Amino acid sequence: MQRRTMTATAIGLALGLAALPAMAQNEFGSKELIAAAEKEGALTYYTANFAETEQEVIKEFNKRFPKIKVSMVRAPGGQLITRIKTEAAAGKLGADVVNHSDRGLMLELADLFQDYAPPNAADYRPDALVSPKLWPGVTLGWAIAYNTALVKNAPKTWMDLTKPEYKNKMIGQVVAPSGGTTWTRSMFERQVLGEDYWKKQAELGIAMYPSGAPLSDALVRGEVTIAPLLYNIIYTKIVEGAPAEAIFAPEGVPIIPYADGITKTAKSPNAAKLFMNWRLSKEGQAFQITKLGNITSLKEPPAFPKGWDPKVVKVWVPNFEQFEKLRTPWIEEWNKTYGYRQ
Amino acid sequence: MTATSVEALAAVNEVQRPPRRLAAPLWVAALLLLLTFLVIYPLLMLVFGALSDSNPIVDGFGAFKPSAKHFLEVLANPNVHLAFFNALAACGGGTILAVVIGLAFSWIVVRTNTPFKGFIAGASMIPLFVPPLVAGVAWGILGSPKTGLLNTALKWMNIDFRFDFYSMSGLIIVFGIYYAPYVYMFTASALKNMDPSLEEASEVAGASAFTTIFTITFPLIAPAILAGSLLSFVVMLGIYGVPAALGAPANINVLTTYIFKLTAWSPPLYNTAAAVAILLMAVTAILVWAQQRLLSGRSFATVAGKAFRPRSLNLGKWRWFTFGLALTYLFVVVVLPTLALIIAAFRKFLFIKDFDALFDMKQYSWVHFNSVFDNPLTMLSIWNTLKVGALTAVVGGALAFAIGYTVNRTNVAGRKSIDMLATLPIAIPGLVVGVAYLWAWIGLPGGLYGTLWILALAFVARFMPDTVKALSTSFMQIHKELEEAAWICGRGLLGTIRTIVLPLARPGVVASMTLLFVLAVRELGSSLFLYTSDTTVMAVLLLDYYEGGNVGKTAAFSLVQTLILAVLLGFTTWLSRDAAQGSARVG
Repeated sequence: MQRRTMTATAIGLALGLAALPAMAQNEFGSKELIAAAEKEGALTYYTANFAETEQEVIKEFNKRFPKIKVSMVRAPGGQLITRIKTEAAAGKLGADVVNHSDRGLMLELADLFQDYAPPNAADYRPDALVSPKLWPGVTLGWAIAYNTALVKNAPKTWMDLTKPEYKNKMIGQVVAPSGGTTWTRSMFERQVLGEDYWKKQAELGIAMYPSGAPLSDALVRGEVTIAPLLYNIIYTKIVEGAPAEAIFAPEGVPIIPYADGITKTAKSPNAAKLFMNWRLSKEGQAFQITKLGNITSLKEPPAFPKGWDPKVVKVWVPNFEQFEKLRTPWIEEWNKTYGYRQ
Repeated sequence: MTATSVEALAAVNEVQRPPRRLAAPLWVAALLLLLTFLVIYPLLMLVFGALSDSNPIVDGFGAFKPSAKHFLEVLANPNVHLAFFNALAACGGGTILAVVIGLAFSWIVVRTNTPFKGFIAGASMIPLFVPPLVAGVAWGILGSPKTGLLNTALKWMNIDFRFDFYSMSGLIIVFGIYYAPYVYMFTASALKNMDPSLEEASEVAGASAFTTIFTITFPLIAPAILAGSLLSFVVMLGIYGVPAALGAPANINVLTTYIFKLTAWSPPLYNTAAAVAILLMAVTAILVWAQQRLLSGRSFATVAGKAFRPRSLNLGKWRWFTFGLALTYLFVVVVLPTLALIIAAFRKFLFIKDFDALFDMKQYSWVHFNSVFDNPLTMLSIWNTLKVGALTAVVGGALAFAIGYTVNRTNVAGRKSIDMLATLPIAIPGLVVGVAYLWAWIGLPGGLYGTLWILALAFVARFMPDTVKALSTSFMQIHKELEEAAWICGRGLLGTIRTIVLPLARPGVVASMTLLFVLAVRELGSSLFLYTSDTTVMAVLLLDYYEGGNVGKTAAFSLVQTLILAVLLGFTTWLSRDAAQGSARVG
């Protein structure tokens, strides 16, 4: 019995040892893939995310794969989609990899993308995928941020943002029609926090901003004192010492899984695959969480952002069907409720 | 003069000129063909977009089902009405202010003995280099009702008054002070080229200096004033950055911010944006037509074959008053926003609790500059921008000269159409025109897409009206008798252009090429669709920083951009001054 156990252990160990380098390789791709990717030596990356954030990702990728040069083209969401469509139709699509926050728009373009799944495909939440070709290389989440020098009684929940003590444009909001990310937040507010949440909040008098970046800047400057923000926009500022803090509210954290894919016309398909594999790997996701303030769509997160208690904080992913169907009528109502002229 | 006449005499003996009868139509046809490629073809794409739901490249022309749906939607939308009214109010107010400032300035610089005129003239052009987005950001930092630096200073001085630049009046003031140089450029060169004998006659007849200005000087340079105010109005109509930064916090929409929203939403509504853009074009067409009606049939030729020197009015003690006025303007338009940008660029964060916190030196560092130059795209974008700027200035300058000369100095058939085509692009907002160029040119055979040339061509087309108009005023002022004299001496057309027109119009040519360079460096809207990873330009990178929510890096990078432009412009000024002295010696 004892001998048997020992043998089994020995075999197991031997298998395990043999599997170790193989696993390290498999995490990002086979030896052949890596060799082929390095031979291609470059890829072009289209992104709608913040340029600086994505440059950090590229830098980190290059620490592991220094022989692959990543060229980036960055444009705001709607403009990037128009460009991809037009380039593709003219047979001049320059992208090997596309990174985009609007899953609905990317789904319409699914035909441009090749079949692809990362080695750790099974580790991803199924509700974060809209197509088997498109993967959440980036996942962002909503937090409540405030200026620490100006707010005495900081909000702790989403419901706190309807309290009369925060009236008169203390709170800033990115307008709901701004894009997929803000629509996700507005949908969460209405479906989870209550039908009358918008009305209660709008009555306080809200300062409205066209997008998250100027709002995060306004928060640091003290133009507004409290603002729901995508955590990654404010996180880097907090790390650099800005007078700001951000919390994840207990009612839930609406998250936005991106839809990233490899184009069928990719000139460097292997480099593209390796880049996607790395971004979707535990290492890639952990880097984005700890250094950039992202969230992840992995079922078991390799790391948590600061202040994220996995026992308390619940992730909220919008139902994709409702996300598409409710969008126009609800945003019209949002505009009316907040008095926003579209 | 002697050298010229000797050359001219020699030219009499030159053999055969090309048959003019055939050359003129060929020349007009060539220009029309070029303008069709640069203007009409992209515009057709835009009309196509406005009249359908399809993308001409993606869906093909077969999918074109014309309908007036977008037009009707746009016309019926009350938010469009409001944005339209806001745009007219902001740009109208801004233009009036710009004319007052620009005219006063050009008079002070050209016609008075105000001290340090050269310095004032140079410094007053600085607002032109500032991208509108940066101007908007800078005035937000200065004039925000809650955290504006001006208000922080007022509070410190115990003054109750507070500025609020997040308002319509804020928009008007910022538009007015930033676009005054447009008016200045036009009126200053007109004043410089004006024969002072008319003013002298007025004074001999007993009119006061004041009366002379308003009854002789300003009416004589009316085309320049009108052209300058029209141009500044139309340019303001197309500006996105200022209303985005100052109007948005107060929920004030203008047409450009509305169009930007249409293109940025997901899904983007380009077809509706194209419909709004065509409305904008209609407004501009009416303005241009009105301007031409007003000016037609009058002669504004004030540069004749007589030698004169612009007269400088001795203001006596009052010259210190005009000097003070000029300094105040420069302080408001250059020093204050630059100071705001410097503070933003060097301060780690822009949270300034009170006035004393402004002087806490621990808060200042080079950190934003370091991270800007750590970015490998920074140097690439600077280099690309310089190349595109130079290409645009040379190609656009040459084309504008050819068009300006043909329209203003010849009687060839078809010149009116050339003029009209060259004026068309003025009203199309950059973002919409960007997508029109993409639609129009991406399918062309040859590797134009993905090169710097496609950017340069887009800029040449987009800024042709500005350049042609700037040059036209110079042409209008050169009296026909000078060219006739050359012809009598036996010069051919090209010889006359080379020896008479070009040297006389040189200040205008240099100014328009410089203007083109500056506009090309600043241009964002059309770059956004045409740049690729290898051809990224500074304006695109600046938007990346702004959209990343980083005022510090945005400010640092815009200071870098301003510095580069200032160095280059200083260099061209030095070059042209040197050349002018050289030619003066020869003459």
